[in-house]
Amino acid sequence: MEMHRTELDQLAGEIDDGAVIGIGGAGLQRKPIAALAALVAAGRRDLRVVSFLGSLDVELLLAADAVAELHSAGVSLDGGGLAPLYRAARQDRTIDFHEWSEGTLLCALQATARGVPSLPTWMALNTDLPQINERLRVGNDPFTADPVVNVRALAVDVALLHVPAVDALGNAYVDGDLALDGALARAAGRTVVCYERVIEPEPSRAALSRLWVDAVVPSPAGAWPTGCHPSYGADLDAVVRWASGGKRGEVSLLTRESSPA
Amino acid sequence: MSATADLLCAALAREIAESGIRVYAVTSPATVAAGLAARELGAPGLALASGFTALDGSPVPQLTLGERGLFTAGPALRDDPFDTFALLARGRVGVAVAPAQLDVRGRTNLSGVGGEAGRPKVALPGARGLPDNNAGPSRVWYLLPAHGPRQLVAAVDVVCGAAPPPTSLRRLLTPAGCFELGHGGWTARWLTASGAELVSAVEAFPIVADGAPVVDEPDADALAAVQRADPRGARTVEFAGGPEAAELFAKIGKLERDAVD
Repeated sequence: MEMHRTELDQLAGEIDDGAVIGIGGAGLQRKPIAALAALVAAGRRDLRVVSFLGSLDVELLLAADAVAELHSAGVSLDGGGLAPLYRAARQDRTIDFHEWSEGTLLCALQATARGVPSLPTWMALNTDLPQINERLRVGNDPFTADPVVNVRALAVDVALLHVPAVDALGNAYVDGDLALDGALARAAGRTVVCYERVIEPEPSRAALSRLWVDAVVPSPAGAWPTGCHPSYGADLDAVVRWASGGKRGEVSLLTRESSPA
Repeated sequence: MSATADLLCAALAREIAESGIRVYAVTSPATVAAGLAARELGAPGLALASGFTALDGSPVPQLTLGERGLFTAGPALRDDPFDTFALLARGRVGVAVAPAQLDVRGRTNLSGVGGEAGRPKVALPGARGLPDNNAGPSRVWYLLPAHGPRQLVAAVDVVCGAAPPPTSLRRLLTPAGCFELGHGGWTARWLTASGAELVSAVEAFPIVADGAPVVDEPDADALAAVQRADPRGARTVEFAGGPEAAELFAKIGKLERDAVD
């Protein structure tokens, strides 16, 4: 069976204002920037964004005033420094920010994937995270009475991933770290995979099975300015430009009009 | 090259090599350089966990962590992202982290400084993995670019990483030397030439430094191994600040691009 293929413009029309968007990749790697730019161009608002380790993905949506809520374990420009709009949004509390740790965010996605309302973990015990994030509650294990953090399930409406390659069946291939893309796909009502190119099927090498993929979208150079190994690396000049001059409304700095490709 | 980067990376490389850990999780270009150097310094079989699904890779110290080095070298093509946290819980991994604040109890903060709960005066990237690694049995090194009152505090503003258990070894590397957290607080294992002065200047973070040996220069063998691992000096960016960091980021980024082209 051939995978359902769509286009970026069509995709943007299929996502509602206020939707929970799970963004794949991590840091400056494999962010579906072109897909997010299509959402911005379509005027999407009040998005509830899940970005495990965010960077320019979060910055782009903040620049467009498209974010109502953000779930993340961290947002930065890696070696490029702090992310200016994310920083301002937290300091001014212009968005509803849910701060997670890497492990507890994974637990929240896994709870949804497993169909349970929450999962207990030792992670984040004795920290301030439960005070900051209402989805983390300290309790006691029912068997041992040991303290645990109960992590509320986090459901995603649409997971937006970007990968270097897919095959005609919809299997996704990633050279490098898959980060939490697999967990996002399993916790999402719908998973859309943007891709650089189509390759011959080799399912045993796939990073994400077509079982979890609902649609694929051609998006060459669509992760720019973040990288998509082995197709291209992160555009560090663009990262520096954003770090020093990124502002609300300056969406074009992060969209294809600025891309050297 | 930054003398601080060389000193701390060489010291960390030696620490990792002598620690006996089987897996070392890299978190930045400098920590990649140290991990690769540790393999040369007596730990040739050390696994380098270089991504959430690449727990036995061969990363390179690039500003974007070198995606081309993230292929897993072990028999499993892909690791479950939860494996990272299972390794931490089982005490089978070591990691070097760079919190914005570290306190006298070994608690860490990368969320924010000042302000109120959920609305920091100065927002930082976010908790990341600190709540998942600090309170467990795994080995943690704190790698700080400066030894001053901003980084070393009596109590962190936001507890991202909980106080470690007494049985878990925690060491701190700063331009002042190497320090260990014990029952009675922090003690110096060795000091740099200016270490005693730096230590005494931070009254809120007392360290017992009497009798600690003074180390004038980086370990030559360890430094040579670090330089072989990171000839372009990607490690220097995270030990710089402000305009110098931006300049180094752009300069080393160009070297990385030229090397690929």
